[in-house]
Amino acid sequence: MNGVFCIMLLLGVMAAAATGQADAAQRALLSGGGEAVALCLELAGAYAFFGGMLSVMRESGFTDALAAALRRPLMRLFHFRLGEERALSDISVNIAANMLGMGGAATPAGLSAMRTMADAGVRDGRASPAMILFLAINTSSVQLLPTTMIALRAQAGAANPADIVLPTLLSTAASTVCAVVLCRVCERISARGGGA
Amino acid sequence: MASFLLPAMLTVCVLGGLHARVDVYQAFMRGAKEGLTTLAELLPVLASILMATALLRETGVLAALADAMAPAMRALGLPGECAGVVLLRPFSGSAALGAVKDAMDTLGADSRAARLCCVICGASETVLFTGSLYFGAAGIKKGRYAIPAALAAYLCGVLAAGALVQ
Repeated sequence: MNGVFCIMLLLGVMAAAATGQADAAQRALLSGGGEAVALCLELAGAYAFFGGMLSVMRESGFTDALAAALRRPLMRLFHFRLGEERALSDISVNIAANMLGMGGAATPAGLSAMRTMADAGVRDGRASPAMILFLAINTSSVQLLPTTMIALRAQAGAANPADIVLPTLLSTAASTVCAVVLCRVCERISARGGGA
Repeated sequence: MASFLLPAMLTVCVLGGLHARVDVYQAFMRGAKEGLTTLAELLPVLASILMATALLRETGVLAALADAMAPAMRALGLPGECAGVVLLRPFSGSAALGAVKDAMDTLGADSRAARLCCVICGASETVLFTGSLYFGAAGIKKGRYAIPAALAAYLCGVLAAGALVQ
């Protein structure tokens, strides 16, 4: 991210120098951050609402129930090596929390799952198929309700801020299915090739 | 129709809380505090990224980038204005968030490109950040096909979004 940020800044300054727009560059630098402050103030209500609702769900045992329901299908989805199956409960909690958009609860469980799978035996730092599949599912996003986007759209004055929910759900499902299929295919190819 | 979604979810949530004998008010406040803390932590990141995005926008770099990528994006059925979001999303969630906000402010929140940006951003994760975090914590040095597969899955989600949002 360091590289991306520095490139953005240097590119902007060079473009300003090349086209003689020093005024525009200075204006952007001084007021750009102000947009963020205004944005955060306007998002505050929505964040409090979603945080509060999710917390009530968590304390009512909804997350635990979802994690328990996910255990069996996940056991079938993952091809665990011996010892890796001990990570199953952390994986269930991670995916349940991610579905509900609780990133704060998902990350510790996810890291713990990764460490448990690594403890089951890692040869010269190579990720196992189950670890890769777990990462791919995590990076394909399984969130059921895009809370931040709804809040952002409400702030931008969208006619119906929640109108993106269904396409988002379908598109995230497409990417998750694609991630699982790709991992399976790569797993098979690398197993046949003696583990490239 | 979709406006009923949040009130309906809230109703289920409150009734579920009462059924489980949870102090709904206290639980809600704890969560609200968590949400606001997250937002406060997001502020410095957003301030830096929105400043950098504003710089790129005001100096015309963003428009040039979108123009350069437009043919490739159009071939995939996506408007060129989504280029920034598509490029930034795998690197940084808040950078993509800044780009989405920018798209909504300049194109209108209900334009196809802006809605598409929202769907792309909401349906994906920071692939590269999550990858280095998770594998780093487990001491994995060779991720093998993990990142290519994850990026391909992301692209698949982007294409699905392009087909779904009209």
